Amino acid sequence: MLVKKSSYMYEMIRTELTDAIGAEYVCTCDDDRLGHSIDYYWIPEMWHDRGMETPKPDFIVHPGSAEDVAKVMKIANQYRIPVTPWGGGSGSQGGALPVYEGIILDMKRMNKIVKIDKTALTVTCQTGIIARHLEWQCNKHGVSTMHLPASIACATIGGFLAHRGTGVLSTKYGKIEDMVMSLEVVTPTGEIIRTLPVPRHASGPDLTMLFLGSEGTLGVITEVTLKIHPMPEAREFRAYVFPDFHTAMSAGAELMRSRLQPCAMRLYDETETLTYVSKVFGKTLDKGAYLVFGFDGRKEIVDLQMKYARQIMEEQFHGEDYGSQGGMDWWKNKYKFFYPGFMFHIPQAFGTLDTVATFSDIENVYWGMKNVVRENFPQARFIGHFSHWYEWGCMLYARFIFEEKDVPKDPREAAALYNRVWDLAIRAAIANGGVINEHHGVGLKLGRFVKDLYGPAMPVLEGIKKQLDPNNIMNPGKMGFKGL
Amino acid sequence: MNIDNCLDAVKNCRFCFMCRHLSAVGNVTFTEADTPRVRAVMIYGAMMHPEWWSNPEYIDMLYRADLSRNCAHHCVNHYDENALLIAARTDVVAKGFAPAAVRALREELISGETWQVSGSGDVLYFVDPYTAEAKIDGVFDAIMRKAGKNYVAVRGGCIGRALKVLGFADDAKQALEKFAAVVRGTGAKTLVVSNPAAYEALKNDAKAFGIDLPATVMHTSEYLLTLDLPTTRAAGKLYYLESDYLRNYNDLPFPHELLKRLGAEEQHFGADRDWLGVPDQQESFTCGEGAVVLPKLYPELVKKLAAYVEKQADDPAADRIVTASPYTKLCLAKYTSLQVVTLEELTAGVL
Repeated sequence: MLVKKSSYMYEMIRTELTDAIGAEYVCTCDDDRLGHSIDYYWIPEMWHDRGMETPKPDFIVHPGSAEDVAKVMKIANQYRIPVTPWGGGSGSQGGALPVYEGIILDMKRMNKIVKIDKTALTVTCQTGIIARHLEWQCNKHGVSTMHLPASIACATIGGFLAHRGTGVLSTKYGKIEDMVMSLEVVTPTGEIIRTLPVPRHASGPDLTMLFLGSEGTLGVITEVTLKIHPMPEAREFRAYVFPDFHTAMSAGAELMRSRLQPCAMRLYDETETLTYVSKVFGKTLDKGAYLVFGFDGRKEIVDLQMKYARQIMEEQFHGEDYGSQGGMDWWKNKYKFFYPGFMFHIPQAFGTLDTVATFSDIENVYWGMKNVVRENFPQARFIGHFSHWYEWGCMLYARFIFEEKDVPKDPREAAALYNRVWDLAIRAAIANGGVINEHHGVGLKLGRFVKDLYGPAMPVLEGIKKQLDPNNIMNPGKMGFKGL
Repeated sequence: MNIDNCLDAVKNCRFCFMCRHLSAVGNVTFTEADTPRVRAVMIYGAMMHPEWWSNPEYIDMLYRADLSRNCAHHCVNHYDENALLIAARTDVVAKGFAPAAVRALREELISGETWQVSGSGDVLYFVDPYTAEAKIDGVFDAIMRKAGKNYVAVRGGCIGRALKVLGFADDAKQALEKFAAVVRGTGAKTLVVSNPAAYEALKNDAKAFGIDLPATVMHTSEYLLTLDLPTTRAAGKLYYLESDYLRNYNDLPFPHELLKRLGAEEQHFGADRDWLGVPDQQESFTCGEGAVVLPKLYPELVKKLAAYVEKQADDPAADRIVTASPYTKLCLAKYTSLQVVTLEELTAGVL
């Protein structure tokens, strides 16, 4: 914040905000300021864990409409106050942290479902709705968003749009950007705009795609129309264990090349199969790499898809069949991986080196990252699974884990160690054809790599930012854009 | 400190968002602070920064929680943020930082610790203030007459649960001890309560305090099942609102068993589902039953909680809604147009 809290100017700004959207919806309480100072990014969690002060917003504003958001934007521009949109706060990249304090735009009050259109199979909603709540309401009407990520319980739809989130059924139903029909956006200068109502057209460049993944740096997405789907008649899974991760990867890639269109697929490397998967399932998988996939839709078609998929797994790659039960173990436990007791957390230091690449490059990316972690940080564990599969490649969900004894107690030393792992591992990924990242976003964590990633295209991105946000109030210092 | 007994929750809940969507208060205030994660973050911070304990805004955050315990019930490892909150409130009280409204409420609760005994029999029916206000005692009486059963009625005030959730553990123990003496004086072998909070006090708090209750504690849903009363008609289609205390604290099957016995055809209230998409009432629609006295401290919040429940109804004007909780019935009657009856009223209506 550029104005001290003790200043009368602070009170002037607060008055203007409360006048614009109502006193009930502007909070300056310590409890809520604390709540918005830590998300799911390890650095602020560690900072808090070590008793350090985390940057806190001056004002938490809960808009109820796009018009409210526009009013806040105009006030923020007037006084050059940074604005950081906040959905569920469950991002792992620090994208929603108010690093320059200012205004947090907590979107959760904007949780209305505007319309479920069962003719076009679309749902229109405000973006502050928690994804689980939207999915429940859709289910009640016999349809599904098919966007079922592990963070469904906490993240808002706006959060997924802002960082291009992905759910477990992405292989068939796509990432969030594949699900979007159109957006309503409030620009940083306070104009309310709508992108074209359908995603397939020949009416110029696609503004919808410009805002998707912009992480609150180019505007605030206030409403979205998403595709929805009928509930499938059948959804079946099957699991195989292969002697090594390379064979399993080859089998998985072949399944994708066959265009049989699984709804989901996961491949866990040998280490993750032995440790993590076994722990979550409560049964020992002590050899090889676990691969699970599923199909959904009409039962007869699912049966046929499964028949041909089994031929690939068993006849071409000789996987050990763990059957449909082995597959359902994963489907039933898919969220359990992320609960405390199973998920890594402080006092461990851990990070998800989320990367995506083609099938030609993905194993090189895996080994590039794994080797660099092993060589430079022998005290760390490296595990990985491949969790979102496309016709051309897949996403590597690699993780490094330091146990408590290997994490410095000093917060600055701990942050330095943590950032060094990212520096080396991400650069190894990029060098091997990987793209950071697939669905967690860039945020604060990966901002410094964006210039490497975009190269000569970076000024194009920066130019768009400058045009839309001339005063640089929108989430400054994130996604590789300049700070204050 | 009391929170030292809940370090599991401190350590685990502060990094976890997995029950965010179930936070009843958070879902109506939209405030990040009204989530188990942030409350645990604050408590962890207070362990390092003792001055946080006296921050009135942090203390307010602790007291406006609804204590539904659905977070722990639906957590795969059942980390109990609810118990952590009560421990933290107890520490706030011990440090002398309880808000004036909380201290005043304590005085009011303690002054109500008197009980009147009437009737005779092996069964004791406790009529707490919510049960009396909702007039469920009269309904219970009608059922017992129809069943030809005598019973002892004990009417009166707080038996400790409200004091315990406010952080006055010693006062809660004393209240329960006094009430236990009254129970012993009646010679009753079975102790029946309609208010789920009273059930929790008598079933679990008494045990935790080392208080001997010479009677088997039952919620009315369990007791009515033992009567095996013949019905004249089926209860029909209805929606049942789960009780925080009966489901999330004690996981009792009896309300659903009673509904089945009464010929009810349960419809799913709300939209919530489990991980596999099967309808499952995971949200708390009790208006803060777990916090017992939330309307005394935060009436506007309870009004919002009630409005949230009303919004979930398929047809607010026509839906038949049943609750096990006189408290919930009172809140919904006060703030919504929903037609809500208790399990006792439903039972009496089909005998």
